[in-house]
Amino acid sequence: MYKKTLMAQVTGKTATLFKVGALAAAMMTATASHAGSLTIASPQDPGNWDPIDTFLVNWAAVGTNIFDGLTYRGPDLELVPGLATSWEELDDGKRIRFTLREGVTFHNGEPFNADAVKFTFDRLLGEEGARGPQRSNYTAISHVTVIDEYTVDMFLYQPDPVLLTKLAGYGAMIVPPGYIEEHGEEYFNEHPVGTGPFKVVEYTPRSDVRLEAFADHWGGAPKLDSVTYRFIAEPSTAVAELQAGRVDIVLPPTIPVGMVESINNHPNSQVVSVASPTVEALRFNTQSGITSDERVRQALIMAVDRQAIVDTILSGEGSVIASFQGEQSFGFDPELDPYPFDPQRAQELLAEAGVEPGAELQIDVRGNDATFGEVAQVVAAYLQGVGLNVSIQPYETNVLLNDIIPAGRTGEMFQQKWGGWTFDFDNTAYLMYHTGERWNPYDSDATLDEMLDSQRSITDRAERETLLQFVARYTKERALEMPLYSLNALYGVGNRVENFDPAPDNRIRLTEVDVSE
Amino acid sequence: MAKFLFYRVLQALFVLVAVTLIVSFAIRLTGDPAVMLAQGAGSITEADLERIREALGLNQPFIVQYLEFLKGLFTGDLGRSFMGGTSVSDLISRALPATLGLALASLVISIVVSIPLGIKAAVSRGKWPDQLIRIVSLVGLSFPNFWLAIMLVLLFSITFNLLPPSGLEGWQSFIMPAATMGIILTATNVRLVRTTMLETLRSQYIMVARAKGLSNSVVLYKHALRNCSIPLITYFGLQFGGLLGGIVVVERVFNWPGLGTLAFDAVAARDYPVLQGVITVLSLMIISINLLVDIAYGFVDPRVRKS
Repeated sequence: MYKKTLMAQVTGKTATLFKVGALAAAMMTATASHAGSLTIASPQDPGNWDPIDTFLVNWAAVGTNIFDGLTYRGPDLELVPGLATSWEELDDGKRIRFTLREGVTFHNGEPFNADAVKFTFDRLLGEEGARGPQRSNYTAISHVTVIDEYTVDMFLYQPDPVLLTKLAGYGAMIVPPGYIEEHGEEYFNEHPVGTGPFKVVEYTPRSDVRLEAFADHWGGAPKLDSVTYRFIAEPSTAVAELQAGRVDIVLPPTIPVGMVESINNHPNSQVVSVASPTVEALRFNTQSGITSDERVRQALIMAVDRQAIVDTILSGEGSVIASFQGEQSFGFDPELDPYPFDPQRAQELLAEAGVEPGAELQIDVRGNDATFGEVAQVVAAYLQGVGLNVSIQPYETNVLLNDIIPAGRTGEMFQQKWGGWTFDFDNTAYLMYHTGERWNPYDSDATLDEMLDSQRSITDRAERETLLQFVARYTKERALEMPLYSLNALYGVGNRVENFDPAPDNRIRLTEVDVSE
Repeated sequence: MAKFLFYRVLQALFVLVAVTLIVSFAIRLTGDPAVMLAQGAGSITEADLERIREALGLNQPFIVQYLEFLKGLFTGDLGRSFMGGTSVSDLISRALPATLGLALASLVISIVVSIPLGIKAAVSRGKWPDQLIRIVSLVGLSFPNFWLAIMLVLLFSITFNLLPPSGLEGWQSFIMPAATMGIILTATNVRLVRTTMLETLRSQYIMVARAKGLSNSVVLYKHALRNCSIPLITYFGLQFGGLLGGIVVVERVFNWPGLGTLAFDAVAARDYPVLQGVITVLSLMIISINLLVDIAYGFVDPRVRKS
């Protein structure tokens, strides 16, 4: 799951032209920054560090170093204890009892205890949470009760199989009650305090945020002294900073696939990639037009060589998928194979369905997505290969997401890019296939609705996984979309970075990371 | 003069209202910030989106939102960013000096280079220095600024490691972005100075000055340049306004913490308050520059002063 591309190192150094650059880079590293400090380029400033005020992945990249949740999920995606040392599901999954870690303090010296947990969830589910986007993830929770200083009970309206995962991220990060009551909500947005391994020293909106190691962290002091996140949106700028040795790590989703080679060709930098939760598909209008016929949809999928697209356009930084989820997703079935690339069978199916050669087909895409623009061109070429007359309609991303898809005004096919940090197929399947959902303007399938509804209350993991796998199989058979690929997350990493383990969800905890001099 | 000023201020207010109205209206056509904010969310429902819209005040009719913005404008409160709730006035007051500094540095570079070159070209019209200057300026004009910016970064930051590739950390940070803007401005300005100078040199008073036996440099710099300066000041002044708008691309490439970057990100995130704020401040500045240019005429040209 962790692929390292180092090929460039050697080729670069043997060429005379690059020697100058290598020398300069070596000199730069020596003067760039002092011992134990790391600089990271992040593409976006979330503008607010309060865990309940944001959904942005780039919040999480920083937030995971400032805050802790009751549970923790690292780059291996295994759920382990965080601020709770253990938990127990009671009352058929409607109550969870958490035993809390003792001796933990917030960055301001405030003690962590059951009151802090209660405060955090009262706040998330109350008035303050209602103003932010995070609450909707935690609607299964009714309330939290303090049992004693280090024990809490969390009461649920209905069992939520994904809840423990959700407690490891975003809105469920534990915040300090005394600090927020003293300084107010607004102050907390720009001066966050948590229990995490790093504390915020200075935040300059739209420019950078500086963190310092929190030596008293319950997991032990981090190896680094300080970390600076600089907000750099432009990929070429972030990469220039990386190659000049002034930035050590460039976070996804900054680097486009097209830049991978030039980064690897530079002696000071390399690309480290890991499978990400982001998947892409071309979904079908299943309601009207030629794509309302299941045979046509299957034919269209078989007409396209998806592996060739991954190998050429994505330079191998992705994997072909059989359903609308990647291999790390809960509900992924390794036994489920994608439709084969079989243009001949595709033509037979099209003929069977009565599709005349030269039939029109429109593909709607996001206009600003250069990589996908190429993918769409290739898909169009393959579809033309089986006799269709294909046009590509680019839209401004927001227009496509706000007006075209939810209103059911797309062409026969439309781009959907999706990914959820919970890595649970429910997060995709429910929203894509359940009747009446925003992202499902065309289809209504009673069998699918029933399966999607019932899996939400199953707490037995194995049973639920089987059901989700069945959902995936069912959607594949009905050919509800042309699944294309899951994308890799691309990190640009400088040579002096040590112990770097890329996280699929961008939540890089920097406790073990170090820099060499 | 007082009447003139009164009408100019009234005119300026009208322009300001028109510009903000158009911008506020146009950005609302491009998409829903609630969806932007919820991107990457798990199970977002229509009810959640409605809740976010309500918190951002987007459930109000457009005209109410706009009047709210105007009211804020006249009380000095530009609202809060949708991306995290930072005060827009704070963001702008942090970004404004960076942008003004860069625009000024670019303009200074361009003036310092283009005036002597323009004069040289005018004086040696048709001869080789003129040809050379014109060709070089044509080449300069043909550079797209983002390309030039990237080339400078590759050369001075990556290959020679002399200058920081981005950000604003000290005077060194100004060199590449100001040069990028400056080079492109210079290309235009050299031609402007040359044409203006040529016209002036044809005037009768220049012939008289030469006939009086004044030295070449006195004729050029005292008599000709001073008379050239009216159109040039107008142009440079307006150019400064244009620069503030055109700086967006260069700011983005150099990750410059200025208004351009702020506006760029605001458009991408559908951050209405920030975009409205930036546009308002930019329009205010361009309007005042135009006013100042008018007043500056008076200082250079006694005829304007006296009328």
